[in-house]
Amino acid sequence: MTAREHILGQLRDNARGDAAPPAPWQSRRQFDDMAARFIASLEKVKGAAYRVASLDVALDKLGELLQTLEAERIVVNNEAPFDTLDLPGRWPEAEWHTVGQAGDLRAACAAADVGLSSADAALAETGTLVLSSGPGRSRLVTLLPPVHIALVPAACLTPDIFTWTATRHAAGLADAMPANLILVSGPSKTADIEQTLAVGVHGPKRFIVVLYD
Amino acid sequence: MTHTPNVTFYDFRKSAAKAVNDPNLQRAVDGATLRFRTHRAEALAELPDSDALRDHLKAIRAATLACLADHLETFERNAQAAGAHVHWARDAADAQRIVVEIAQQHDADLVVKSKSMATEEIHLNDALLAAGIEPVETDLGEWIIQLAGEPPSHIIGPALHKTRQQVAELFNRKLGTNFTGDDIPGMTEQARRVLREKFLSASIGISGVNVAVAETGSIVLVTNEGNGRMVTSAPPVHIAVMGLEKLAPTWDDAAVWLSLLGRSATGQPLSIYTATITGPAQADDPDGPQEVHIVLLDNGRSALLGGKYEEILQCIRCGACLNICPVYQEVSGHAYGSPYSGPIGAVITPLLFGLEEYEALPHASSLCGACLDVCPARIDLPRMLLELRADEVEQRIIPRQERLLEGSAAWVLGRPRLFRFLTGLGRFFQRPLARNGSLRLPRGLNPARDRQLPALAPRSFRELWDDGLSANDATSEEEGT
Repeated sequence: MTAREHILGQLRDNARGDAAPPAPWQSRRQFDDMAARFIASLEKVKGAAYRVASLDVALDKLGELLQTLEAERIVVNNEAPFDTLDLPGRWPEAEWHTVGQAGDLRAACAAADVGLSSADAALAETGTLVLSSGPGRSRLVTLLPPVHIALVPAACLTPDIFTWTATRHAAGLADAMPANLILVSGPSKTADIEQTLAVGVHGPKRFIVVLYD
Repeated sequence: MTHTPNVTFYDFRKSAAKAVNDPNLQRAVDGATLRFRTHRAEALAELPDSDALRDHLKAIRAATLACLADHLETFERNAQAAGAHVHWARDAADAQRIVVEIAQQHDADLVVKSKSMATEEIHLNDALLAAGIEPVETDLGEWIIQLAGEPPSHIIGPALHKTRQQVAELFNRKLGTNFTGDDIPGMTEQARRVLREKFLSASIGISGVNVAVAETGSIVLVTNEGNGRMVTSAPPVHIAVMGLEKLAPTWDDAAVWLSLLGRSATGQPLSIYTATITGPAQADDPDGPQEVHIVLLDNGRSALLGGKYEEILQCIRCGACLNICPVYQEVSGHAYGSPYSGPIGAVITPLLFGLEEYEALPHASSLCGACLDVCPARIDLPRMLLELRADEVEQRIIPRQERLLEGSAAWVLGRPRLFRFLTGLGRFFQRPLARNGSLRLPRGLNPARDRQLPALAPRSFRELWDDGLSANDATSEEEGT
């Protein structure tokens, strides 16, 4: 008998089999201003978020951030809204690597000062972005550089993790999982030494979200 | 096979005494558990209805376990459809062999690991080292204890028994650095530098699983540092080891699980990174692992299903019961001789690894019930601690002297006149041993020399009660007139 048969047999012999799963939990969250809650939650964990009126203003904000950070090397996912913008043309003084272009993506991410992405969804309650892998969407762009900046349409806001899973179900997306789906709720941190907060262990030290209308 | 330590009554009392007399340990554990408790309470209070959410998690966990085999098959089918390899391990030896074989097929000499209690449980690092493969722990706390050559002392904070000065000394000794205890940012940066190289050069990443989701064949990993993402994104091969009970049928269920896990563990509404892995990188993904293996670990779990201990399989490993436990707060994690400490450890360790070998653990509790109060799945740990104690009596695991003593006590207590006679005798003969109202115990019964047995009082409660009653009667009669 294989280990699989043995274990499943034992589980079937022992289990009560009287399953009555409860109906899915319904979110009891309501926020008058989801963006405000998103920003407050993120700031609580030393992330930063801004709300701006349009993509144009968001790009101005991005320029301001890149300048303050003195970003020289930038990696960017090849996804909306960036795929229709000429970012290297806009900031030619920086060295850009767009996912999918020729060259070593991994090395570019490891050397970059900033990683740039968008997101699938934003959970207001917890200040969380949902990131997916896929064509043009790299795991390492949002992980290796010391700073991760995300430009996200404010329409992506949803109250909490329950409304997010419910939306996925309703859209028939639940079965179409990307290989890698990440919820990010702040900059990388630890409290492993005497429960003292230290920011920036393995992931980005800074996590900045610009929500645009 | 790897050696697993026994924890006899004597062992536990001895390590408890050592812990209680270690001021550094006491300071570190008191501080950490207090912060965890405070943050947890604040996070749950911020939820609209945390009690109902906990009831809901309990219902989900019970329903999942009732049909666990079906859910596991669904999970396996969907994980395979996404391109993952699924392996079944009956015990620790099976799981070790599976992981080592995969590592050898890929000629791995370095693996990076993200903190996983399941791999602690099967002593995976020992097996990898024996095969000439270097495992590097990448959670900061877990890396610290790996450098120190110690086992973890807490499910969530493996190194929380260490003070900052102790960590600085350890780094300076092992890494040739020159840190002071106050330079926590510096030590964190050091870890980032050293481990970043390991992430980028390792050929295999090994992780545990916080929860798996059957409907999509996904595994979910929760970290604050980002090492969970690193281990599953940078190396070309990812191996995940999971206890087979850590399964949620649907994403709705997993969402409930996740929103209680972070809050109960560290008081975070969600951990910083929740990474969901559904098979290896797809053809048009720009990066990610080429192979994903999932090892489903039984190791004694299936035998618990359907019995009086099934409830223990509802655990989501948040560690809240450790932080609230008055015994854990004093003795810390190492006294339990198992990766699982505190109330959850006191129940699950004897169940998975043998009651006889861990006879002391069901007694490492005052039965105050605080663990039940804080459990996100409302697991009745006090009930199971009592059941285990009863099993010890039935299986004659408790020492013969104690059995004799308790048997005789029961016999005497059933005979009031004999009891009164014997306490009278005791009161007389205790005189040479009594001092300041307590008796000195022989060393064998009191290894830590910290226990006092109260001497028999000059007058028994019953005698005082009888006197009080007649005095009261007299008073009320007077009032009545």
